[in-house]
Amino acid sequence: MAATSVGRVLTLCRQFQNAFRISKTLPCQHTAVALPTFRPFTHRLPSPGLSLRFNLDCAVQCRALHTTISKRGLDEFFDIPENWGEATVKSGAPWTAKQLRTKSNEDLHKLWYVLLKERNMLLTIEQESRRQCLSMPSPERLKKVERSMKRLDTVVKEREDALRLLQTGQERARPGAWRKDVFGRVYWYRFREHPIPWYMNRRYKRKRFYTPGFVTPYIRLRLEKYLRARSRKQKTESENQAVLREKFPQVKAKS
Amino acid sequence: MRLTALLSMAAKAAFPKDYRYGTNRPWTIAAKRLNPPGKKRRKVFVEPIPYADWSVFKGDTVEILSGKDKGKQGKVAQVFRHRNWVILEGLNTHFRYIGKTADYRGTYIASEAPLLLRDISLIDPTDRKPTEVEWRFTEEGEKVRVSLRTGRIVPKPVFQRRDGIVTQQWKDGPKDTSPEDTLQKTYTPSLKTLEEEAMEKLGIEEPRRSRRSFWY
Repeated sequence: MAATSVGRVLTLCRQFQNAFRISKTLPCQHTAVALPTFRPFTHRLPSPGLSLRFNLDCAVQCRALHTTISKRGLDEFFDIPENWGEATVKSGAPWTAKQLRTKSNEDLHKLWYVLLKERNMLLTIEQESRRQCLSMPSPERLKKVERSMKRLDTVVKEREDALRLLQTGQERARPGAWRKDVFGRVYWYRFREHPIPWYMNRRYKRKRFYTPGFVTPYIRLRLEKYLRARSRKQKTESENQAVLREKFPQVKAKS
Repeated sequence: MRLTALLSMAAKAAFPKDYRYGTNRPWTIAAKRLNPPGKKRRKVFVEPIPYADWSVFKGDTVEILSGKDKGKQGKVAQVFRHRNWVILEGLNTHFRYIGKTADYRGTYIASEAPLLLRDISLIDPTDRKPTEVEWRFTEEGEKVRVSLRTGRIVPKPVFQRRDGIVTQQWKDGPKDTSPEDTLQKTYTPSLKTLEEEAMEKLGIEEPRRSRRSFWY
């Protein structure tokens, strides 16, 4: 018993040692992402001196964590001093998906972090103005940044989809199947990842992906209800169109 | 509650079928007072105008064809597409009191009433007379409004974005990307995902392999 625990401690120590060695051999790879094209702030560019210092602190503990070294430190969570106390801060337009589609993956990766930092800054302003019971200066900035990030995400997803379609022919990132529930409704069931196969999974086997026989008449009733609602909607729409044609004879009513 | 149910609740429109759109935005208190729940009112039939055919915008100068201020010209201050309405600055007004309390009779102000799209007409810039317009394309492929009477182009008003910015007059600030950088094409198709490319670029190697998993 004691021998095994000692052995465990020894292996742990060895792993730590290994981690330390690897972090020393990789000196400056995880420093800063230089921004050739997207250069939002000149004063935020990483400086070599600071990056070195930060790296020494960080390298021991977090080898895998990649950090961008900043010049301003925690001040990056706040707006530039010129905008302090301003009621409105003017800002440009968000990135459009069309613009983002022309950018390489590397550029998109950098832009994501630029946007993320900007969003953090804006969220700090929002929280601070909420604390002081004031309105946030130019809240539309937050929406613009979030919109840009969402579009960037769609562009990345589009590229992934295209690649998957080309390589595997699969349309969706997450597999699934059309299944029936107990009420006879057909729906798209999205598969989940499990560590064990389904026949060993007792909780999965409790789920019911079938329709009992006594539900069949109610399926028919549901279908009937749906058809009646649809025809009622069509009827009201055609009546509406007829009145519109009568009231505005000069315009061509929507067909 | 499940997320999907929550989302479907949020997506469902809160407006009843016979909701009457007015000059107030539907979520404001004024609009809620005019449309209390359960109120039945006569249905208003609005002339269907396709979105692309709409030709009067905020900032246009138009002439009133009928009503109290017939023949007067004014600038469009507001456009209501739900009702085919237009409000002109300082025209077609009535007077009313606002901010009335028990001991104060309120402030007497002139407020503009909306005008139907059929009661106004755009102005030909050459002779300043009302004219019908049509959307046409120029040689450069630009969509313009053309006066049917004289064949002249009726210029579009300067569009101000909702955040108060006119795009043509915008000067790049410190946080803006320059137009050249924005339009620069750097994408070259490759058989790698963004994650793989980023890992390769940053020299990250992942020797670990994921355990066998089952999708069902």
